[in-house]
Order: sequence, then C-alpha cells, then structure tokens
Amino acid sequence: MTFSRLMKTAALTAALTGTAGLASADDYHIGVTVPSADHGWTAGLMWWAQQATDELSEKYPDVSFTVLSANSGTAQVSNVEDLMIRNLDALVILPYNPATLQSVISEAYEEGIYTVVVDRELEIPAQDVFLAGDNPGLGEQAARYIADELGGEGNILVLEGPPIPINSQRVDAFNRVMGEYSGINILASQNTDWNPQQALSVTEDLLGSNPQVDAIWAGDDDVLVAALQAIEENERDDIQLVVGGGGSQRVIEMIRDDHPMVKGTVTYPPNMIASAIALAVHGVKGERLGDMYHGIPSRVILAADLITADNVEAFYEPDAAY
Amino acid sequence: MNQSQNTKPAAALVIQGLRKIPLNAAILAPLVALILLFAVSSLASEYFLNTRNISNVLRQVSYTGIIAIGMTFVIIAGGIDLSVGSMVALVGVIVLYVVNAISDPVQAVILAMLAAIVAGSLFGLFNGLMVTRGRIAAFVVTLASMSIFRSLALYFTDAAEVSTRNPIFSNVGGGFFLSIPIPVWVFFGLAIVAHVLLFHTAYGRHVCAVGANPQVARYSGIRVKRIVLSTFVIAGLCVGLSAIMLTSRLNSVSPSDAGYFYELDAIAAVVIGGTALSGGRGTVWGTVIGALILGIINNMLNLTGVSPYLQGLVKGAVILLAVLLQYKRAA
Amino acid sequence: MREPILRLEGIGKAFGPVQVLEDISLSLVPGEVLGILGENGAGKSTLLKIVSGIYTPSAGTIHLDSEALSALDPITARRHGVAMIPQEFNLVSTLRVYENVFLGQELRRGGLLDHGAMRQRTRELLASLEVALDPDLPIERLSVAEKQMVEVARVLVNEARIVILDEPTTVLTDREVAVLFKVVRTLVARGVAVMFISHKLKEVKELCDRLLILRDGQQVELCEVGELSEEDMARKMVGRELSQVYPDKPPAAAHEASPALQVRGLSLKDVLYDIDLEVHRGEVLGLAGLVGAGRTEIAETIMGLRRRDGGALHIDGKAVDIRSPNEAHAHGLAYLSEDRQGKGLQLSFNVMQNITSLSLKRYVRGLIRHAAERRQAEHYQQRLSIKAANLGAPVSKLSGGNQQKVYFSKLLDIEPDILLLDEPTRGIDISAKQQIYQLIRELTEQGKAVIVISSELEEIIGMSDRVLVVREGRIAVELNGDDINEEQIMLYAAGARQHANCERVGT
Repeated sequence: MTFSRLMKTAALTAALTGTAGLASADDYHIGVTVPSADHGWTAGLMWWAQQATDELSEKYPDVSFTVLSANSGTAQVSNVEDLMIRNLDALVILPYNPATLQSVISEAYEEGIYTVVVDRELEIPAQDVFLAGDNPGLGEQAARYIADELGGEGNILVLEGPPIPINSQRVDAFNRVMGEYSGINILASQNTDWNPQQALSVTEDLLGSNPQVDAIWAGDDDVLVAALQAIEENERDDIQLVVGGGGSQRVIEMIRDDHPMVKGTVTYPPNMIASAIALAVHGVKGERLGDMYHGIPSRVILAADLITADNVEAFYEPDAAY
Repeated sequence: MNQSQNTKPAAALVIQGLRKIPLNAAILAPLVALILLFAVSSLASEYFLNTRNISNVLRQVSYTGIIAIGMTFVIIAGGIDLSVGSMVALVGVIVLYVVNAISDPVQAVILAMLAAIVAGSLFGLFNGLMVTRGRIAAFVVTLASMSIFRSLALYFTDAAEVSTRNPIFSNVGGGFFLSIPIPVWVFFGLAIVAHVLLFHTAYGRHVCAVGANPQVARYSGIRVKRIVLSTFVIAGLCVGLSAIMLTSRLNSVSPSDAGYFYELDAIAAVVIGGTALSGGRGTVWGTVIGALILGIINNMLNLTGVSPYLQGLVKGAVILLAVLLQYKRAA
Repeated sequence: MREPILRLEGIGKAFGPVQVLEDISLSLVPGEVLGILGENGAGKSTLLKIVSGIYTPSAGTIHLDSEALSALDPITARRHGVAMIPQEFNLVSTLRVYENVFLGQELRRGGLLDHGAMRQRTRELLASLEVALDPDLPIERLSVAEKQMVEVARVLVNEARIVILDEPTTVLTDREVAVLFKVVRTLVARGVAVMFISHKLKEVKELCDRLLILRDGQQVELCEVGELSEEDMARKMVGRELSQVYPDKPPAAAHEASPALQVRGLSLKDVLYDIDLEVHRGEVLGLAGLVGAGRTEIAETIMGLRRRDGGALHIDGKAVDIRSPNEAHAHGLAYLSEDRQGKGLQLSFNVMQNITSLSLKRYVRGLIRHAAERRQAEHYQQRLSIKAANLGAPVSKLSGGNQQKVYFSKLLDIEPDILLLDEPTRGIDISAKQQIYQLIRELTEQGKAVIVISSELEEIIGMSDRVLVVREGRIAVELNGDDINEEQIMLYAAGARQHANCERVGT
C-alpha cells in the first residue's frame, strides 16, 4: 500500500497541514462543509474552519477532520454524500441554502451522525445542535446605534444583502427599530448581494440621487468598505456615520484608529463555524461543556455585539481572514 | 510503488484489447482516461470502491450527465447552449409549483413530470427559434436566455427556496430500482436512446452533416434550420428530465442555486468525450464517459480531502489532460 | 543575356508512390515573363509551391541568386524576393486597402502604427500601377480585379523580384485582364521576373516571352512563345488528340424527341432573365459561358436552391413545382455543385456516409443498416474505381479525383434521371477526367439526361451534343453540330455576337 499511502498523505497534508497524518488513532471523524470563499465573510468562515480543525486535532489526537467547500447548494449535497461514505461520526455544516440541503442533512442525521447546523436554519429540524448569529439582533443594534449617534434625526441609506431569509431578518429588525424614531428618514434600501463591486456602483447611484445623506447602514463590512470608497470618490462631506455588520478585522481597525465616519459595527462572527466544530467534538464524545450541568445545548445563538471605540480591543484578531 | 507499476501494463493491456474493437480514437482516449482515473481513485481512497460511494457518484453525475447528452446534439450540430443551467432552475421552480398546486400526491408528481418535459422543450424551442428564425448566434441567444431563465426563476419565487411536503415526490429522484438510484437509470437509459438516435438513424446523420458543413447539408436536401432547431429542443427536454431528477432528489428547488454552472460541466463533459466544439462529429458514449470523469474527480477530491482551494486546479488540470490525450491520439 | 535570378535543376516531387513532378529544369531572368501551361493536375501548382517554398522537392536543386538550395522554406523564399499572388486572395475583408497592403509588415513610428505613411505609400504604389483606388476603402467593397491589384501592391511593398501569378485571369473580365497585363508589363519593366500560370492559350501568347508546358508532371516543352502556334500548345498540353480524351458522341438523332426536362422563362431577380432550355434523355447539353454569366444560378434555381421569380419547369412533359433540393431529388433531378468541398461533400464524413447522404432513407429499416451502406459503397468503389484505402476514413484524405468520384456516387445513389453537372472535372487529374467523361456517356446511354456546365471550352466541345451559351443571365445562343467550336462559343460568351432571340445555329 505504499503508493496509496503516498497519495493519501500528500492529499491530506495539503488539506490539513500535516496534522491528519496522525490519523492512525482517530476514533472520531468529523466532516465540515461550508460555502466556498466567494466574499469576505465566507473567506473568514473557511479560515476559521481550518484554524479550528488544526487546533482541535492537535489537542484531541483521537479526532480527525475533513473540511470541504462548495460553490453551490447542489455541490454541497454531493459534499455531504461523499463525507458520509467516509464513516462520519459528526457533520458540521453551514448550508448554502437550507431547503436544498434539507433532505441530505436529514439522511445524515437519521443515520446517527452527530449533526451541527450553522447559521441557516432548516425548515424541518434535523440536527443535534443549531448554532447561529443573531440576525434580528444585528439589525436592531445597528439601528439603535445610528439613531443615537444622529440624535434621532437624519437621512439614511440602507445597503441590503441578497434576498435570502437572514437578510430580511436583519433589515426587518432595522426598519422596526427605526420606525420608533419619527425624525429618521430611510431614503432608499437596495440589494448589493454583499458583493463589494456591486455595492460600489449601488452606493454611487444612491449618492448621486440623494444630495443630503447623514448615515449609511451596510449589512456587511465588505459592503461598508465599498461604500466608503464611493463616498470618498464623490467627495461627499455630508455623511457623518457609516455602520457595518459582521465585524471584519479591517473595519475593526478603522474603529480602533478613530476613523471619521466608521465608528461602529455589529458582530456576526464567522468564527461561529469554529465554535460549531468545537461543539461537535464534545457532542460526538457525549461530553459536557466545562462545568455545565447539561449536555451540549441544542440551540446556540451568538449575541450581536456592538463594536465601538470603547470595546474594540476585545475583538481585534490581526491574523484572521475576516 | 508496486501498484503504480502494475497499473501501467494493465492499462496497456486494456488499450490493446480495445484496439481490436472498432472504436475510434475520439472515444478511446477518454475511455483510457476514465480507466486510469478509476484506478488512481481506488488507490487514493479506500472508500472509493464502496458500493454506496459508486452509487453516489453515479447519481451525482446523472444530473449534469443527462444535460450533457442533450448538449452533445446541440454541439454536434454546430451550436452551443449556455442556458441549460438557468433552465434547470426555471423548470425546477415550475415542477415545485405544480407539485404543490395539486392535492393528490400521485397526480401531482405525474403532472409535474409532464410539465417539466413540456416546459424544458418549450424553452429549448425558444432558443432554437431565436437561432434559426432570428439568425442570432447560438452563443448570444443562449447567453441572453441564461440570464432570462434565471431571472424568471428568481422573480417567481422572490429568490426564496421552494420545497414540498408531497410524500412521494422525493422517491422519484431519491429512490432506487434494483438498488441503483433512479436518476442513474434515467441517465443510462437516455444515453442508449441518444446513441441510437445519433448513430443509427437518418436524423442523427443529418445532425452531424449540419454541424460538419451546413452548406453541403443544404445542397443535400437536409432542412438545416429544422435540424438545428430540433437539437435545442432535445437539449431543453434533457434539462426537463434533469430538473425532475434534481428537484425530487432534493425535495426542493433553490432558484438562485439550482443548475449553477451546469452549462460548464455539461460542455466540459461533451468536450472531454471527444466531441468537437466546432461541431460535425461526436459520440454520446464519449459524453457519458466525460461526465463520469468529471464526477469521479469531484468525488475523489472530496474523499481524499484535498484542500478546498486546490480542487478547482485539479479539476481543470484533468480536463486539460483528457483533451490533450485525445488530440495526441487523434493526430 | 542577364544572369538568371532563379534556376531549377532536375526538380521532382513525389507524394508517397505518386510522382507528381519529374525532372523540371528551367531558368528565369529578371524582366521576363515565363508562361506555364498545363491542364489541371499537370503539376503547375506543385511547381509553384516548390518555388515559393511551401513544398520541399524530393529531387533536384533550386538556385536562387546563384545560391544552391536543395530545399526552400517560405521565409527564405520571401527573403529572396519570391512572392505569389494566389487564386484565392489572402486579404482581410474587414480591413482597409492600405492596412492589407502592409499586413504583417506594418510601418511603425515610436512603436505605434504610422497610418499616414502607410496610406501615402499605398497611394504611390497604386499610382505607379496606374490604378485608381482609394487606400481607405475596406476590402469587402472592392471588385475581384481591385482585390487583385491590392495583392499586387502588397507584392511591391515586399520588393519582390519573382512574382508568381496563379491563374490570375479566370475571375476577370476582358477589360480587367487588359489592366492586369499593363500592370504586369510595368513590373517587368522594373526588372521583376514573372511566372504566369494559365491554361488560356491566347493570354500566354499575348503576355509571355517564354513558355513552359507541363503534362502529367513532365516538362514537355520550354521555348520562346513565338515558336509555337496555339494549336501546338494545346496539343502539347493535352498530349493526345481530343478524341482520345472524350468518348465518341452518338449520332445526332440518338436521343428521344420529347424533353426530359423543359425550362420556360426561368428568371431570378437581377441574375437570370427568361431562360428557356430543354434536355433530352440520352443527351448531353453543354452550358457554356464566362464565369459569373449565371450558369450555376440556372442549375441552382432548377434545383430549388434558389427561389425563382418566374418560369415553369416540366419533367417528362408534366409541370412540376420545385422549391427545395428534396423535391428536386424526388423528381429525379440531381445536382453536382462546382464547389465540391464547400457544397458537395462532407469532408469529415467517410466515403460511405457521403455516398448515402442523399439516399439515406433507403438504408433505414427503423435504424440505419450500416452493412448495406458499406456494400453499396464497395459497389461504387468498384464501378468508378475509387482509390480509397479505407471506406471508413474521412473523404478529406482522398485525392481530388477520388473525391469527385465519391461525389458522383452520391448523386448516382438516388438513381436520378436528369443530372446537372457543374464543373464536373474541376481540379482533378487527366485520367480521372477521362473516367468521368466515360461515366457521363454511360449515363446518357442508359437514357439519362445530362447538363454539363463547364468553363473549360474543350470539355464543352468534347462532351456536348448541343451547347447553350449563357451570357449575363440570358441564353445567348444554341449551338449544334460543327458550330460547337471554340470560336463560336467565345464569340457569343464574350458578347461580340448576339442573337436577337436565341436561335439555333448549325444543323
């Protein structure tokens, strides 16, 4: 089996930077699949997944990991099917789109694979743990912060994400809060697909048609950066505040460095995948978390934290990809 | 390294054996590539030869494979269809709407399947008419309809995924017959029908003639436009079949995601299979082999856990290799 | 005598076992025009390709500027000033005249194209040729003759010293030929040596100083033009009396009285005007005329490949309406296009697939019976002695003559009663030609009616029982018996003589 060993080792080395070479003693095999890195947040996701599997496989020699990514929901279905072939004990998945993945996740769950679903919830629950950020909370926090900073009065542009449930949760919550402030006027609310290029052109168009803008809310930090570029290129000095969402290191640095417009963002951390992987490690072994009296909670919602100059240091992680 | 040495004479023997069968280089090269890939995959992962894995791979391949068979006709006739991926999404949405609109589960599924085939054929007809009557290049027509179909699918659903509670729908694409997944039966059944159509009927000969030189075909009394039109309808019909298999396997459809990049996988399968992109000649078996090669690559990469960042590279390299091998042999 | 710029010594060329050129020796001095005469397949183009470096000779030596070379490549040839003006022009139709003249050797200034200089230089070149042509016109708006002038200008930019003209006059009108000849004389006066390939005896006589005659790859004559009469040239080219090449014609009354195909008042907007013709079973009707006179259009309109604007067709006395080639085939008509590779054969298809491409229905019993196809192909292979190593190989691998035989088989396989043959022997060798003439005669003996369209007068004269001369979309005259001769045909084809109404001339 020399040849086979060689192939395998080469492949695994590339994937897991060497640690999986110790696969001899693994009692637990955990498969991870996430959408491929097509924008900043998903790139962060991938980075954190690699980071967590590296660290955890070092710490627990009896656990091995396989990390896959998919550029579409149907490709991710194949990912799960292929992972299941490899005697999987636990599956950690951030579904590309939940309905497409519903049936294959159900198959895995019903086979007794310890299943952790991240971020996007299935219509018919088929998991041991669901872990997600607080989408309505993200919208709410951003809205309160903007309203406070503007003193309850001003014109606002909203840069939305693609028409998917998590975006509507954020935007709906944002609008609900803003509805409490009669002085706040939402000039426009448009889709950017969380894509920086598109965000740039959308922002340019919106700035062109709205001569007086006080604040911009971007549902995503990459979109925020693109919006800033549009503002600078159009030499607009009317905008006092630009608030993002997600918590990218780049935006956190801006807040830390007292950026004139970027003073706050709200977390929706891609390292949720890392926590999900950690939960899977303990869950599949039947362990409890620390001194908790219960097993692994079946539902974990990470708080949407507002980051401002006051607390920015706590969120600063210079090595992270997002 | 024993095994790698053993595979070489074995492969050579296979090639030698195949030489005796009157196969042309165009189909032989991809077959050799497939056999090599199969050998390498079974060495690289102990899970590869697992029956369940093989059945998974075949099922994964069948969705794009069915479409690639239709694409083979379009490409042989000198055209190209970029809209098939988006068409999967639009037909898929129609399928789910029909399934959800009818209360009797059996009736709903049958009507949905009919609707998929009719809708796919009609969309193909639209492409074909634009190419033949509108005299617009197939590349341009289908580039436009790719955008149109996707947009319609998003519009009808507000970009939201549509799923169904129909209890039997998922048995169509998710079910098994004689322990082989149903989409695989459809894929291979269609391949046989398409092979007979292409190689053993006057229609197939005419498709090749139109692609090889439409002028000669016209002077030979072949209705060139009608043949071109029909290939687009065949492509649409195949998309209909694929959409049924895919949506019923997933029991849902995502308008933004279904069929994403299928046009590229289908075209890649056709090209790996030895069909000339310039048209005029090609085989269905080549396309089937091309689709299998692509599927096995994906599967092997997933099984061995190659870095997700590198998977695209490996896939691209294997496509280039397969085609290179083919030109070497053809020359 | 001046030092020769080019000297060939014992040049030969073989493709595999086939010797296409043997022991050619000649020299060329600056300022002379050497005519090269020969039938299709005599080896003219092979010789040209050797001189321009495209083919490597398999025997002999080439001396260029007293430098001995056993082989020549296109780049070396060009460096020595060899330039060829091909029959099919190598011009980019979307680019302008001056851009084409300088294509691949653009003038630059500071790394950028110097449009002004190129335009100016082109204008000067064209003026020196006494051609009034705007350097800024796009090629696609030029006439064939003007395109040829662009090719000539391009040759001048290269400062070519040996210019090869490959049958340059086939596509030109008389007046354009006169202009071309003036340009050639201008070149010669500058000391350029010209190789002029043609099979038009008169032109060679008029333009050339010396003459090389090739037949079946052999050099049969190299002499001063004045030494030979046109009749001598023709005899040396063909190498046998015409009667040996063409089968005997049947007596005039051999064909049936009632026409197999009758065409009345056929017209095609701006192309054909009121064409009347009829052809009888057992008869070969020749359609003569200049290129572009409308002969091909007549055939294509009869076949339903073009939508006619008026006129009626009768087959065996019955009125028929033909709107597509399919319907024409169903009525027993079959058409051999002059463009064998572009319209006749699927080059990527094999012999069998080509032969059955019209008759495919007959081979289908639910599915195509491949074995029956093969049997039929083998039948034709034997009957027409098609030389093909493998019936499964693409026809593109066959020689022109064998391709043409496959094309004939394709027509014959629908068992047509009336055959329209457009340039039936274009680009094929003499022996294949003879076989095809024989075949045509066999067909008429079987009671089929045949129309032969040809630009080769000898072919028209040798094969036709009756000739119609087409000029500018009209039938100019019908010739019979002894009036079927070169002089009469040319007189009517070129329009020197005209009949008010098409009349029968001769017996």
